[in-house]
Amino acid sequence: MSSRRGLLVLSWGLLGVVVAVVLAVGTLGGAEPTPAERVRSLSGQVACPTCAGQSVLYSDAGISVQIRTEIAQRVEDGQSDDQILTALAQAYGREALLTPSASGAASLAWAIPGFAAVVAIAGLAFAFWRWRPTTTEVSDEERSRVEEALREREVDGGA
Amino acid sequence: MNAIVGSAGVILGFAAAGFGAISLVVGLIWQRPALLRQSITYAGLVFAGSLASFVAMERALITRDFSIEYVAQVGSSLTPPLYNFASLWGALEGSILLWALVLAGYILLVAIKFRHRLTDPLVAWAMVTMFLVALFFFGLMVGPANPFTTWSPPVGYDGPGPDPLLQNHPLMVAHPPMLYLGYVGFTVPFAFAIAALITGRVGEGWLVETRRWTLFAWGFLTAGIILGAWWAYEVLGWGGYWGWDPVENSSLLPWLTGTAFLHSVMVQERRGMLRVWNLSLLCATFALTILGTFLTRSGVIESVHAFTTSSIGPALLGFFAVIVIASVGLIGWRGDRLRSPGSIDSPLSREGAFLANNVLFGGFAFVILLGTVFPLVVEAWNGDQLRVGEPFFERMSVPIGLALLTLMAIAPALPWRKTNVETLATRLQWPAWFGGACLLIALALGQRGLGTLAGYGLAGFAAGAAIRQVVLATRRQGWRGFVGRTNGGMIVHLGVILIAFGIIASNAGVESREFRLEIGESGVIEGHTITLVDVYQEDLPRKVRTVAAIQVDGGEIHEPAMNLFRASGRAVPTPSVRTTWTNDIALSIFPVESIDDPIGIRAVYQPLIAWLWAGGALMAIGTVLSAFPGRRRKPTDPTSAPLPERAPEGASS
Repeated sequence: MSSRRGLLVLSWGLLGVVVAVVLAVGTLGGAEPTPAERVRSLSGQVACPTCAGQSVLYSDAGISVQIRTEIAQRVEDGQSDDQILTALAQAYGREALLTPSASGAASLAWAIPGFAAVVAIAGLAFAFWRWRPTTTEVSDEERSRVEEALREREVDGGA
Repeated sequence: MNAIVGSAGVILGFAAAGFGAISLVVGLIWQRPALLRQSITYAGLVFAGSLASFVAMERALITRDFSIEYVAQVGSSLTPPLYNFASLWGALEGSILLWALVLAGYILLVAIKFRHRLTDPLVAWAMVTMFLVALFFFGLMVGPANPFTTWSPPVGYDGPGPDPLLQNHPLMVAHPPMLYLGYVGFTVPFAFAIAALITGRVGEGWLVETRRWTLFAWGFLTAGIILGAWWAYEVLGWGGYWGWDPVENSSLLPWLTGTAFLHSVMVQERRGMLRVWNLSLLCATFALTILGTFLTRSGVIESVHAFTTSSIGPALLGFFAVIVIASVGLIGWRGDRLRSPGSIDSPLSREGAFLANNVLFGGFAFVILLGTVFPLVVEAWNGDQLRVGEPFFERMSVPIGLALLTLMAIAPALPWRKTNVETLATRLQWPAWFGGACLLIALALGQRGLGTLAGYGLAGFAAGAAIRQVVLATRRQGWRGFVGRTNGGMIVHLGVILIAFGIIASNAGVESREFRLEIGESGVIEGHTITLVDVYQEDLPRKVRTVAAIQVDGGEIHEPAMNLFRASGRAVPTPSVRTTWTNDIALSIFPVESIDDPIGIRAVYQPLIAWLWAGGALMAIGTVLSAFPGRRRKPTDPTSAPLPERAPEGASS
């Protein structure tokens, strides 16, 4: 029993090490995103001004093609993501960005889910706390009654 | 002729639903069983009415009866038969017609299924609820969304046909009906929930009776959503399958609450707990289908799916309000009876996991609803225009998705009531190593990034847990290890995991390139060579079709095309996708001035896209397997924890 338990601990421990190493290797050595990846990611954050609810990335409207080209140009010029998004917001209006801003009324879009997460976790914790198991005393009489009921059921149902 | 038959059908359905509801309520209040038994007749009449109007509309479309405005709007003499048939649900009025037909079908099926129990108040109130819902939808067609209004078309009139995007792929025939079967199907459990609240029989009886109805509604909704994603992927030409468009979101919302319900219902059946929660989830699911219809059919949100602005918005919003108020009111009224007898012993138990699952699904639905309506609320409040798009939804859904995968990995190994860490560690040992192996393979294949790698690892872990469950069940029960709710559910989980792999891999590995090629030239994307072999133009009656023949890796030829519709001047692409089990290359071409110029080609490379569709198929199979009766406990079997061992003499317990 104890050797099985030891093996179990060893197995989980080993797995923990493997996972930690893999995640470290896979995360720390991460290369910078390539220019093409940056253009793609940025295009996904800008709304196509003339189409219904699509991002520039997924639209072939003339203006979208133009904005994609502009983004590619700015990436090539070495501008940072923030700089590019700010410039685009100035050119096409704040509503051209698909990400709600972190200030003003729009920031509620971020704050409310955060608040909801806190409430949800607190609620779950409260539910489990409220439902703590209560130890019930079981008398011998109740035990025999249960055993009898189970026996009867087996006879009835043929199990 | 068509208009007369159609309108008569609508009026018949409207009247039958109205009289059915009234006579049932009268029969319930004055206790006249004879009146209650008539509900099957009324159900038959509602169905006959909706079928007549459906057939009349199809006949009008097929015979190109342009005297009906709707046909004039979506019909055309040039539309191929399949898409002509499907154009019935291509615009607002017709989609309500389809909704009514599906709803009437469900009502009739319920009446037939419960034909021996029509005098049971639970069934009768459920029928009343469904008749009222039908009354609303037929009412829409009598009033603001009448599909059979007529006009006098000029001589020789020919309609524009359905939106070009809707006549581009056969999936358009299957996707909307599937979705509607799912949406509308939730009316049945909702009606029984309302009936349970009204009759006060809020125990587990109604749940068990509507279990399969809910399951099938959920299965159809799942299939509808996945077919929609597939259609978008094949037709829209940007290599994407999910754009967090308001319409997509509004189909996902009831799916999320419905999924939460399918899980938490097991806690109620088994332990009698979470009654209020389950009723609320069902009511929310139904209300969200109506809210989604409002958002997408009223024109308040701009979306690639939105139909033209219509006057049915206020009606749908009002109906939504009625549903919410009625549900909340009834639940509040029955609050005393809804108190649960049981309690959760430990977070480390099946019911604890289901509860956490519900919080996650509920939270997921909440943030998606928030993101979808937030711009509306802000605009109504201070007039600011802002957008909440893909980046927001992705940032929200990644952590929730990872948390759900974690639960999927742990929960199947958890017993009811409680367990200890050692048991759990033993049961999860191999599934966890399976996840570890997936992680290692992903790393070896060059995948990087914390979220991506964690996703692969957790999805593998969850797959291991599901496979373990299926293996144990088949070892114990033979082929029956595949059927029944628990086992079928594990097959559904495996489908979800395939989809998770597809989503993670395609998001992490997507690569898109735009080329400008002359005939004979090649471009390279992710090590795959695409060569432009030929370009030609076809002059078709309605459009000019430019086709580029492109060879991928020196093998098969793909022919993406660009259709320029003469009437509207719209350019609609027809992409072509090279699919393999490991990766897809979606090819589309840009509009061309002249075919002698170099052709603009977009190639989008994404790994594991095929896993999405395979996962969807597996989910459908799993749903069907879940519906078969497995080796289940009798509903009357006792569910109690084993008694604590009798403490030895003298020892304290």
